[in-house]
Amino acid sequence: MKPHTTDLEVPAGLPLEVAQEVKKFLSRRNLLATVGVAAAAGALTMVSYRDDAQAATTPKAMTASKGAKAAEHAWCMVIDLRHCDGCEVCTQSCQQRHGLREEQTWIKVFGMTDSAGGTYHMPRPCMMCEDPPCVYVCPVGANIRTDEGLVLVDDNACVGSRACMAACPYEARYFNWTDPLPLNRMPMPATPQMPVPQKGTVGKCVFCADRLPQGELPACVAGCPMGVLYIGDLVTDVAVNGPGNTVVLSQFLRDNDAVRFKEELGTNPRVYYILGHGQNIGDQA
Amino acid sequence: MTAQALSTHALSAPALTTPASEPNAMATLAREASLRSFGKPSRLWWLTIVLLSLVVLAGIAAWVVQLQNGMGAAGYNDHAFWAIYIADVITFIGVSYGGAVVSAILRLTGATWRAPLTRLAEGTAVVTVLIGAALIIPHIGNPIRLYELVTRPNLSAPVFWDFVAVMTYTFGSIVFFALPLVPDMAILHKGHKKRLGTRRARLYAAVSRGWVGAPRQRRVMAGALGLVSIMIIPLAVSVHSVLSWAFSSTGRPWWHESIWAPQFVVAALYSGVALVILVVAGFRRGYHLQGLIHERHFVRLGFILATFSATYLYLTFADLLPGSYVADPATASVFTDLLVGRLALWFWMFAVVGGLLPLLLVALPWTRNVWGMVTASILVVPMMWLKRFLMVVGPSTYDTVTGTFGTYHFTWVPIAITLAAAAAIPLLLMLLFRVVPLLSIDEIDEIEQIEQMQEIGQKADAAGPHTGPGLPGTSNDTLVGATSKSHRVAGATGVLLLVALMGMFGVGSAAHASAAVPRSGTASTPAVTITGLEAGGSVQLTATLTHGHRLPLPNAAVAFGFLSTEFGTPARLVRLGSATTDQTGIARLTLGGDADHLYQPTAKGPQIFVASYAAAGEQPVTSSTTVTVTVAKSAYHPAPAKPLASVGDVLVIALFAIVAAIWLTLITQIWRVRRVCRGVGSAGSGGTGTSSRSWVKALGRSPQPSEEGLNAQT
Repeated sequence: MKPHTTDLEVPAGLPLEVAQEVKKFLSRRNLLATVGVAAAAGALTMVSYRDDAQAATTPKAMTASKGAKAAEHAWCMVIDLRHCDGCEVCTQSCQQRHGLREEQTWIKVFGMTDSAGGTYHMPRPCMMCEDPPCVYVCPVGANIRTDEGLVLVDDNACVGSRACMAACPYEARYFNWTDPLPLNRMPMPATPQMPVPQKGTVGKCVFCADRLPQGELPACVAGCPMGVLYIGDLVTDVAVNGPGNTVVLSQFLRDNDAVRFKEELGTNPRVYYILGHGQNIGDQA
Repeated sequence: MTAQALSTHALSAPALTTPASEPNAMATLAREASLRSFGKPSRLWWLTIVLLSLVVLAGIAAWVVQLQNGMGAAGYNDHAFWAIYIADVITFIGVSYGGAVVSAILRLTGATWRAPLTRLAEGTAVVTVLIGAALIIPHIGNPIRLYELVTRPNLSAPVFWDFVAVMTYTFGSIVFFALPLVPDMAILHKGHKKRLGTRRARLYAAVSRGWVGAPRQRRVMAGALGLVSIMIIPLAVSVHSVLSWAFSSTGRPWWHESIWAPQFVVAALYSGVALVILVVAGFRRGYHLQGLIHERHFVRLGFILATFSATYLYLTFADLLPGSYVADPATASVFTDLLVGRLALWFWMFAVVGGLLPLLLVALPWTRNVWGMVTASILVVPMMWLKRFLMVVGPSTYDTVTGTFGTYHFTWVPIAITLAAAAAIPLLLMLLFRVVPLLSIDEIDEIEQIEQMQEIGQKADAAGPHTGPGLPGTSNDTLVGATSKSHRVAGATGVLLLVALMGMFGVGSAAHASAAVPRSGTASTPAVTITGLEAGGSVQLTATLTHGHRLPLPNAAVAFGFLSTEFGTPARLVRLGSATTDQTGIARLTLGGDADHLYQPTAKGPQIFVASYAAAGEQPVTSSTTVTVTVAKSAYHPAPAKPLASVGDVLVIALFAIVAAIWLTLITQIWRVRRVCRGVGSAGSGGTGTSSRSWVKALGRSPQPSEEGLNAQT
């Protein structure tokens, strides 16, 4: 390093010289070099962070490589609108099982109107999208998608940003805006499969994910007196409704021209609707 | 402009020795004015502080109530999941861009009139971005878990990148605010130590230790400031863009618009400049800075305000026209609600009061004065909040299934918190400028010298080979750098991570099915026997129907099925369809054979198939067989991967690299300034004395005439 006095003893100014040095410092090459070196160092430190973060938050199914073992189940639901009379027993069964408030309709029966003013009823659970917008937008990865295709919320991680509520095209998410209702059953630790509502977190239909491995039916399916709701498995190609009607899923969907809600969004929902409500268009259900 | 600032110092010596030039009249004024906020505060100051503090405390109390009762206390519900707080966040982080524009853009474009405004503008930027970031806390349902944004981030989430962008921008604006403090604090500590008071003097000594204003120091400082002001512009663009992408990366009508990012940026500039006008007006009045900040400053800021007002109105129109024209049902509902429905009064109030009226106030010559500009700004700031609120609450309350609207219910809680945030701006600024100088003395000093030199240069135009210290070429170069960097954040949220589910299916060899299990029946009743044959995953079921003495029963429908235990035991019978027996009493069913028989075995191992026949009015007879399935075919066919799914991985690395580079570069600038202060300072004492002594010595030996002039004045 040159003696400091050199710096202090340049009173003559030499403005051009100084200006040139600045110019040089800010020259493109210098700037690019600085940024480039910093970027390289940054990339190295951040790659491992990225991998950690992804491992911690990205659901297994979404990182599954081609060699991975295929999931044993791919849960889905079939909703036969022809028989729905809008009794909302599904909603009540669900709310009772999950300790939900009245406005928290994890499965909600919408009163729909057709083009001629006729009405019909449309239950809407979580669509369990294969390409779920809610999972992508969660800032902390509290939304997970299991390898069996269930989109679940880890309420022990949810920060309550409600980004998922904004992203869900089916309005299937509900927030615990206030303290939840007192438990009406034995307390047990909350899991994504069997969530316990807690203030400041989001909740949604989980297809009663805790029941499915036991071969039990979700509360809404078991409760539906009309046999509207079927729980199914796309892998084993079987679906069953509350009264016990068991069908070959693919055949059932094909024979009844099943459709998916908002197919055009590309979310690939795993809930299928069988249309037609049994009346002529324009009639009241 | 950076070059300008630093060349001036070198120029200062000849400038001041020129008999014709006045010795830094403005700078003297600036020094004097900066010390005004350090004196004994007036009663009005105390009153203001107390009132503002009460408002802030009320907001904190409201937040505590919200924490206890949940966000329902703030009027939120499932049909209005985002509302006032996120509008507050956008508004407050938005107004902080005003500081960046006044200080950084005007610095880079060499607008010298900015000098008395920069410190106030940068202070406003820092304060508002901090308040804006803090407003995320009431917005979040579970603020205690905010640390998870660091420990378990979801890299595909716009909100995570919001967090990254806001943190980076906050750090950048703090650096941009803090670096120019070094020379100012040195000047004040040197010349006015007594008036600073003990604590301030200690702080100033610590911050400015080693700063003597040597050419090398000025060179480094100007380089650092130039770089940071280049960086702060794309940083601010990134913040407002990523904030908008938190909305537009959802599919909601009106949120899902490509124009939102630029619209957010312009909205930030518009409201930010308005807030700078208000802050400048307030401090100008409160500390009597009329000698430094003139009407022309307000008018020039007003012109900037008018530019952004016009741009924002244009963008609003461009935002609403295509959706209204095409009238896709969802978008049409939201726009109807906005333009002629529920929110119409508020929207048109924004358009007139927040858009046209300020434009008019700037356009008309007789309102183009301090009061006109302040009035315009008073209109703009709350109206821009209103516009953000409408943008949030319209699509948020829209039910995308039924096409109806929910309602957001205002309660006192969010209003108190919003008012507290608004009150926190003047409060924090007043407190901040009790500690740091109100004006950037050094910058005023330099710019005045430049202007003096320009005059001298014009006089001696023909004589010297290099007369113009303005160096417009240099500032152009730095601007080029700024634009090339602004591509940094390229669609962080536009890309989603997706890997499709893929199954690998085993291929087995053919094997014969197990033997049929004949069912014993009486001679008179029908009997059915089923056999199954599996080859390469294809199962053929054969049922033989007899009655009486093993006579074949033709033209009878035999129903086939299989048993599934998936939904619990006892096993459920799943119907596969039926087939009619031929003359030999045999009915055949090939699984997966045609469109009416789609089912094929989905799992390896034994599977029970059943055939049954029921004559009219009689009990059905059934027979079952177990077929060992060797080739399982999952019935599930995953959807194909989205086209741009794999881009995400690369983009994330690139974004992380850029963010890390920005942080490292910013830290490097602080480190460079610290190093050059240390280097020059300690060297002045010959490397023996303590650093503070060496600093004094260095100052004493400094040949800088400006320092001498300063001594003479005190």
